[in-house]
Amino acid sequence: MKGKYLIGALVILGALGYLIFGGLSQSLTYFITPSEYFQNPGKYAGKRVRLGGLVKPGTVRFDRDTLELRFVLTDGVAEVPVEHRGTPPALFKERQGVVVEGRFKGKVFYGDTLLVKHSETYQPPKEGYTPEEVRKLIEEAK
Amino acid sequence: MTPGPLGQVGLVLALSFALLGLLLAGYAWWARDGRYVEAAKRAALFSLLGALVAFFALEWALLTDDFSIVYTAKNHSTKSPTWVKFATLWAALEGSILLWATFQALYTWLAARRLRDYWMAPGVLAVLFGIQVFFFAVMLFVTNPFLPVPNPPTEGPGPNPLLQNHWMMAVHPVLMYLGFVGISVPFAYAVAAMLARRYQTWIATTRWWTIVAFGFLTLAIFAGAWWSYEVLGWGGYWGWDPVENASFIPWLLLAAFLHTALVQERKGLFKPWNFAFITLAFAATVFGTFLTRSGVVQSVHAFTEGAVGPVFLGFLLLVLFVGFGLLSRVGSEVRDVGGVELLSREGLLLGGALVFSTMAFVVVLGTLYPLFVEAFTGDKVSVGAPFFNSVFAPLGAVLLFLMGAAPVLPWGRVDAWARRAFLWMLAGLVLGLAAALALGATVGVALGVGLFLYNLVSAGAQVGRAVAARRRQGWGAALLGYLTQGRRHFGAQVVHAGVALAALAIVFSQAYRVDVQKTLNIGETAKLAGIEVRLGRLHAFDEGYRFVVEAVVEAKGIGTFRPRLNYYKTMNAPLAAPSVRYGPTENYYFILQAFDQDAGKWATLRLVLTPMVYWLWVAGGVIAFGLFYMLLPLGRSRRSVPGGEVAA
Repeated sequence: MKGKYLIGALVILGALGYLIFGGLSQSLTYFITPSEYFQNPGKYAGKRVRLGGLVKPGTVRFDRDTLELRFVLTDGVAEVPVEHRGTPPALFKERQGVVVEGRFKGKVFYGDTLLVKHSETYQPPKEGYTPEEVRKLIEEAK
Repeated sequence: MTPGPLGQVGLVLALSFALLGLLLAGYAWWARDGRYVEAAKRAALFSLLGALVAFFALEWALLTDDFSIVYTAKNHSTKSPTWVKFATLWAALEGSILLWATFQALYTWLAARRLRDYWMAPGVLAVLFGIQVFFFAVMLFVTNPFLPVPNPPTEGPGPNPLLQNHWMMAVHPVLMYLGFVGISVPFAYAVAAMLARRYQTWIATTRWWTIVAFGFLTLAIFAGAWWSYEVLGWGGYWGWDPVENASFIPWLLLAAFLHTALVQERKGLFKPWNFAFITLAFAATVFGTFLTRSGVVQSVHAFTEGAVGPVFLGFLLLVLFVGFGLLSRVGSEVRDVGGVELLSREGLLLGGALVFSTMAFVVVLGTLYPLFVEAFTGDKVSVGAPFFNSVFAPLGAVLLFLMGAAPVLPWGRVDAWARRAFLWMLAGLVLGLAAALALGATVGVALGVGLFLYNLVSAGAQVGRAVAARRRQGWGAALLGYLTQGRRHFGAQVVHAGVALAALAIVFSQAYRVDVQKTLNIGETAKLAGIEVRLGRLHAFDEGYRFVVEAVVEAKGIGTFRPRLNYYKTMNAPLAAPSVRYGPTENYYFILQAFDQDAGKWATLRLVLTPMVYWLWVAGGVIAFGLFYMLLPLGRSRRSVPGGEVAA
């Protein structure tokens, strides 16, 4: 009688463990910058990623009828073209720190959520910034 | 006298009398002398008066625009409407700790008035005063809202604009703290029970407090979801944000406790489970505060003020140490004798409690997992809503299944009536499932519909049986007798029906949500999600404390919507205030996404359709009604209902 319960409990625990830890590893969203992506593109292929960087000046195109927003995200070293469907948030502008959530498809990053990093003290970084500086800036701004 | 010194005096009074109460209760325990218990009870009143003096001092400063103390200087604005000024007390860290501490003093006083058991009284009072000492000491020495400001400003930034956008924000935190603090009373009784080695009576004595705390927490969580839906402008009501999780963990653990406590109350089983669950539930309220106020996790609405974090972490460890330390000491005395039949009411109740606590574990894990990953690999990650949803969907289905089955079973076994009722419930399940599948629903939605019917049949069968058992008095008298004397039984059925309705609303609102955007010129008409929408005009005006841009949108056959963007001086981004209209099946939600800032010629509108979300708010009300119905003073509640034993 006891053995039966033990097996039942093990089966339930196993299923739970699979559900929880399988779910965790599948829905982990990495937060990376473009240069971190290019160091190991295979790791992020097809996965949901939060890509952080600055909006490169002169690259923003927005079609207000189809609501397609295209821009290049840079961290000073590497650049990624981004396509996002939806209206740019009010604070979206050139040289602004943004985080886009989405997936890579080929060379283009397709975003579905766009967050503008801002705070009262936000300052665009000086010329010659490094990916580390960009990352710190974005993590510190709320 | 100005508010600053008055508030300081109030805090010192409250802390001194709480400390005095703690010492008196401790001495009463040590000397086994009831006179010191009486003295400690009196200290509760004076500590409460001190807390109220501090509370009114802060309200005084806020309502008279007195900027001479740090709290108003940092969080107040003369331009706020009066209700916002009043609610600013709990809009930031120091004030919300004052609110918490004031409620703690109030509950200690109320609990002291109802204390009759002189074996338990010293322990209960010592724990409650101990918690109170912690909160007032934190306020005096770590985050004092009454510290003087050397050069008082004449105007401040005002509270966080997100909190000013909806009246619900004045209510939600109050409900939340009433719930959090309520958990401290059964926790105090549990500690006293383990100290006094009287393991049985505390469960029945604290039932009232547990249900009160659970009722307020439930209301607070639903109010928070409603606020999230109507204010944050993202078209959802629950985002698995750390702050939301912080309120959900104690709720889940208290739900587990409620159900195992029921078994102990009636059958004397599960004593260790009850001590563990109530300790965890109370610890979870402290954990939540630590999580959201220490900056360890990022959240949209965390206050992130570092100094408080370590203090709350220390207090959390102390609570866990006291609860589990005592439990391990008395472990051999509280162990259950004999096994539990799996297919019996107590077996399924334990199963349900285990599902609740697994859910709590999943929420803790998902919230803290990014910290572990960063500590071990250095990768920055986040765990999104898909994880929580994918785990909660199957666990929720199991819970809904147990919720219908447990109360129809008798204690200790299965009987013929339970078998019959269960067959009818299964028929409801299959009927709902088949009908929904036939209408083209997905398996998940169909299962939701089936489990909803299953639970309705369960509740209906139990109410019918309980009323029928009294039919000799005549049906009217039978119903009246059941509703008054069987109110715990009836209340439980109402709560369960409310939970089933909430689950159905969540399933529908998740599965059939529609989210579309379109840019329209002024006067232009277009179809959004099949609805003919016309952008009437776009206008801007000043409301003193904020500047507003409003779009007037006519949806054909539905009505006029006025979504707006609110601009606050302290925020460099506008806040989108959606325009919402509820209907019994469909719900319309318009957001003004963007507009032509140069000439005002066009605007981008977003329309979110969330079916049945209205019923989620109704379900919240139904659950709270059922909980508070159990507590109605309608004469003596009978321990058991003829023909159907008490289910809650």
